[in-house]
Amino acid sequence: MINIKSFYDNYLNFPKTDCGYCGCTSCVALLRRHYAGEASLSDCIYFEARGYCKEDFVSPKHFTNTKTEPSVSYVSPCPSDAERVTVEVNLASDLHSKYGYFDMISAEKLFGQSLPEMKIAPSLGLARLESDGEAVMGFAEGRILIRRALNENDAFWQLSRFIRWLWGAVN
Amino acid sequence: MDINVAKQGNANKNTLFTIDLNRKCSLFLSLKIGDWMLDVELVRKDFPFLKQGRIYLDSTATSLTPEPVLNKMLEYYREYRANVGRGIYKASQIATEEFEKARNEVSRLINAKPEEMVLLRNTSEGINLVASGIKLKKGDKIVTTTLEHHSDFIVWQRASKRSGAALKVVGADSEGFMNLADFEKAIDDSTKIVAVSQVSNVLGVKPPVKEIAKIAHEHGALVLIDGAQSVPHSKVDVKAIGCDFLAFSGHKMCGPTGAGGLYMRELLLEEVEPLCIGGGTIEDVGLDYYRLKKGAAKFEAGTPAIAEVIGMGAAASYLMKLGMLEIESHEQKLTKRVVKGLEEIPNLTLYGPKEPAKRAGIFSFNVGRLHPHDLAMTLDVTAGVMVRSGHHCALPVIKEVIKAPNGTVRASVYIYNNNQDIDTFLATLEEISRTMA
Repeated sequence: MINIKSFYDNYLNFPKTDCGYCGCTSCVALLRRHYAGEASLSDCIYFEARGYCKEDFVSPKHFTNTKTEPSVSYVSPCPSDAERVTVEVNLASDLHSKYGYFDMISAEKLFGQSLPEMKIAPSLGLARLESDGEAVMGFAEGRILIRRALNENDAFWQLSRFIRWLWGAVN
Repeated sequence: MDINVAKQGNANKNTLFTIDLNRKCSLFLSLKIGDWMLDVELVRKDFPFLKQGRIYLDSTATSLTPEPVLNKMLEYYREYRANVGRGIYKASQIATEEFEKARNEVSRLINAKPEEMVLLRNTSEGINLVASGIKLKKGDKIVTTTLEHHSDFIVWQRASKRSGAALKVVGADSEGFMNLADFEKAIDDSTKIVAVSQVSNVLGVKPPVKEIAKIAHEHGALVLIDGAQSVPHSKVDVKAIGCDFLAFSGHKMCGPTGAGGLYMRELLLEEVEPLCIGGGTIEDVGLDYYRLKKGAAKFEAGTPAIAEVIGMGAAASYLMKLGMLEIESHEQKLTKRVVKGLEEIPNLTLYGPKEPAKRAGIFSFNVGRLHPHDLAMTLDVTAGVMVRSGHHCALPVIKEVIKAPNGTVRASVYIYNNNQDIDTFLATLEEISRTMA
């Protein structure tokens, strides 16, 4: 069984002081570098003092370091409304890309409840933007799905809005 | 064979027998009267699709195929690849024999005679055959229900339009229950056919087909049962129901796609006209006449889906070996678990009967305002849970009964689903409801 809560719960319990003693700008940045194999959790002055267990910080399933080439996977009629289109886009995604699992944590941390149209669930590795019945879903692996868009142009407008909002939170 | 008998004692019918059949057929059965059990972990080993840790909860759309069925089909292609009923050579005879054996097995599954079993592509083809073959005319009446799948609904709409027969649709309440009094009102002496599904593919509700058949027969009407969702999951007995036609699909009962069956009461085989005619259906042909064969053969024009039918026969044997009562009981247990779990999830609306005992293992629901497609996608991406979303080929139910314009998410269970599947599904759903709804 996939323990979908473990990593995010651990993150929530993390000091999150963003003190900078480890050399990273934030706790999220340290975790990101930990998963990239560039930093150790021992660099954190709180980590061992607070009795965290390194084994708890294992990669969740949707956090595997897979690289995908940027592409438009498909544009097709919406399954339940032939007048509208569904578009799937892959962003180039790896640990160092600007959009991924940690960005979701950052975005959620910054936005919280302030942006009601945007729901961000780092524990599930996805973000969702809904307005006027159209929905954009972004997955931590770098895949973005735009559903029920009026046409291709509308789909790309939705996509750019989604990415601007999500990136706005982390850059 | 070891037989352990342990008495539970508190109720006279609850005596527990545990029979260890491990050595004989590698199936461990713990039998309690009215509470049969199948070893789901053993069953799971037969399904190669599950080996990558996938959680398949869409058996209502189509089921997975076990190794014995796959092997049986491959055996045809490898060992006796020949046409049926045509050749005099040995391979052709073996093929014919295996094909007819499959017909026997499939008939046995629903307690019909092999002669009464027409082998077709799927449920839809069976229903279309009946609709076009019973010679509907102006002044006749067709009775069906809002719970039907499109394959049992638009077929009658078209038949009514073409023949001028009236179409009466019996409604259901918000949980999907129908009133027998409504059928008594709808069915009269002009009614030619009553078409009703045994299990609704959206709500999992089980209409009282036996009683409906009785009312129909009192008025001299024919009865067609859509068994697509009932035959794979429970013990179906056409004689006990008393129906005239029962259509079902092989691909929903662990068989391959492209093979299905239509039970037709023996007396009707003469009367009903075939949908297609051609090779295999004739007794004699001259330049200005043709004479059709008698019996099921007259409906099976052209070379059939031989490997698929043989596979469907193997699937029927597979299910009967597991035991239809065991399968029913296993699904009932999972149903209780799912219903209990779904009720605890905030923001979740479950459609269909509230009582687990009154529903089959089909669960339609929505979470908050989340679109069903988004919810299904999230379940797939985050936990590898496969469910169906949308209108499930039954828009009348979606529009008239549950009134959910975007449709629903539908999960369904079968023999290869275990408690762990259900728990992962429920945990993921809870997380989605908490964070995304």
